[in-house]
Amino acid sequence: MGSLGSIRRTFSPWTDPDAPAHIRFENITKNFGDFTAVNNLSLTIYEREFFALLGASGCGKSTLLRMLAGFEDPTAGRILLDGQDLAGIPPYRRPVNMMFQSYALFPHMTVAQNIAFGLRQDRMPKAEIEKRVGEMLRLVKLEGYEKRKPHQLSGGQRQRVALARSVAKRPKVLLLDEPLGALDKKLREETQFELMDLQQDLGLTFVVVTHDQEEAMTMADRIAVMNHGEICQVATPAEVYEAPASRFVADFIGNVNIFDGIVTDRDDTGIMMVADGGFEIQASNPGKTEKGHQASFAIRPEKIRISAEAPRSPDVNHISGEVWDIAYLGDMTVFHVRLDSGKIIRATTINDARTTEAALTWEDRAWISFSPDAGVVLTA
Amino acid sequence: MRRLLSPIASRFVIIIPYAWLFVFFLVPFFIVLKISFSQTAISMPPYVPTFGSPGQWWNNIRQLGFDNYLWIAGDSLYVKAYLSSVVIAFISTVLALLIGYPVAYGMARAPATLRPTLLMLVILPFWTSFLIRVYAWIGILKPEGLLNQFLLAVGLIDEPLIILNTHAAIFIGIVYSYLPFMVLPVYSTLEKMDHSLIEAAQDLGCRPVSAFWKITFPLSLPGVVAGCFLVFIPAVGEFVIPDLLGGSQTLMIGKTLWSEFFNNRDWPVASAVAIILLLVLVIPIMIFQNAQTKAQEAGR
Repeated sequence: MGSLGSIRRTFSPWTDPDAPAHIRFENITKNFGDFTAVNNLSLTIYEREFFALLGASGCGKSTLLRMLAGFEDPTAGRILLDGQDLAGIPPYRRPVNMMFQSYALFPHMTVAQNIAFGLRQDRMPKAEIEKRVGEMLRLVKLEGYEKRKPHQLSGGQRQRVALARSVAKRPKVLLLDEPLGALDKKLREETQFELMDLQQDLGLTFVVVTHDQEEAMTMADRIAVMNHGEICQVATPAEVYEAPASRFVADFIGNVNIFDGIVTDRDDTGIMMVADGGFEIQASNPGKTEKGHQASFAIRPEKIRISAEAPRSPDVNHISGEVWDIAYLGDMTVFHVRLDSGKIIRATTINDARTTEAALTWEDRAWISFSPDAGVVLTA
Repeated sequence: MRRLLSPIASRFVIIIPYAWLFVFFLVPFFIVLKISFSQTAISMPPYVPTFGSPGQWWNNIRQLGFDNYLWIAGDSLYVKAYLSSVVIAFISTVLALLIGYPVAYGMARAPATLRPTLLMLVILPFWTSFLIRVYAWIGILKPEGLLNQFLLAVGLIDEPLIILNTHAAIFIGIVYSYLPFMVLPVYSTLEKMDHSLIEAAQDLGCRPVSAFWKITFPLSLPGVVAGCFLVFIPAVGEFVIPDLLGGSQTLMIGKTLWSEFFNNRDWPVASAVAIILLLVLVIPIMIFQNAQTKAQEAGR
């Protein structure tokens, strides 16, 4: 995305065509009876990447993860790890470990025995196991808990034991299935940052499955948005947010206003379109639109300006409506403006001045405006 | 918090089971205990002393004694009968576990839609009288029975196997009769076990067989213990199966008790035999309860 060049990243192997693939899904299909969980999906994940599979439940993201772990076999296609085809390799021989959504801690074993379980399977010398278990306990800040049984721990502590157990063997790839799903909101936010630090420290590749877009945006280097067993878009969080590839992605990630209309004019620098109610929108980035065809203009609420008077500059898109609802959230205020066509537009303003006086209130006439490059033109 | 019942009503609810246990368990137990300390007599009922008017109670109590217990301890027949009962019950329990565990495991791993049917099949034999089912085994096991006819016809054996009236027949009978009591508790622990535990074990490098012994089996132990006691305890005192399938030379305490009571009409000795049997059983029951409490504390 050329227009998004301002977002700088130090780690971006996906932009390098010579970067070796770490995990490759090649044309993977998985059917359960008549149901297609994953449909002809291809995906490349790079070493040391924090990769998120994001989607609603039933979109196939967990199935993809389970195929990588070896619990399900693909119906068609192949999965490569460092160039090696994983077909036929049972889960207990894959250099991949998984942190389960339910944590799956062994209830009859202590914390230390749980963490040591995988190391014992490898017949690691006893002294080394003890050392590694100690390291892991320090890593997840659970020193002193080694003799406890899982039922004597809080939810957050169990989550950390599960994490320690899954990284104890130093796998090539760590798979995390809804790793924070069972934690409360505050703990979840803290743990998100802990997970990111841990991934940096260990230098592992993380593949996380989540339905929580905020979680994916916070932690991941790249996000694959999935729907009905297919990938809708694979991109960095900023790209997914600012340049969604489709209506589905725009709608799934964050809040968005979508204007549907017909393209009336088009050239290489932009388009003109007329949305419902005769609202003329000028947009840069013509995308794959064609003159006379349907297109949609998607714009995030924070990119819409709201004012009591019409904007002076003629080259911004603007339309008036009635203030329908106001939600004051402290750091920002959310306005719902009802256009004359009946469409409700969501706009947010940052409350950067300390004032309790609002310029706009319920039932006022208000103008909403946005520049041509504030939104994205979608055809899908 | 609002109470569902008033204090009096809630106390009354608790009283009902206690009253039930008192009237139908504790009172009969004390009657048997008292008879076990009495002497035989040719009278009706066939023992003295009986409790007459309250004025004679003290006199009567002085007549009670440990004579019957000393008699039982002195006669090696009783000791042998107890021992052989415990041994037969133990072997039967082990056999029931060896057969019942795989059955329960298979049921728990069967598709969820099939499980109620399988459960029904396990319970189905209870719909027929226990006595009739044991009689049916005579027809199967006797020298000219179904089993021997089949084996002869197939050509596996040249002459009929003698199974009926041997210990083997008793084991078959007990294992057959009490198998559901092993299968059901084991099934219930296996069925509620989180399958992701097995996946986690495999993910950490554990082969499936090893995962069974390290995860599945230890976690099913509460069910195994419950099943073993549910088979062992009734099997020790079993009377019908050794009597019908075991023949005359089988020594089991249930049979001894029966013959003391009905053939010898020696109620006091029979009662003493019953009390000792109860003591033999109470110890495993207490171990069982202890194990259950522990399992509950472990949050299973």
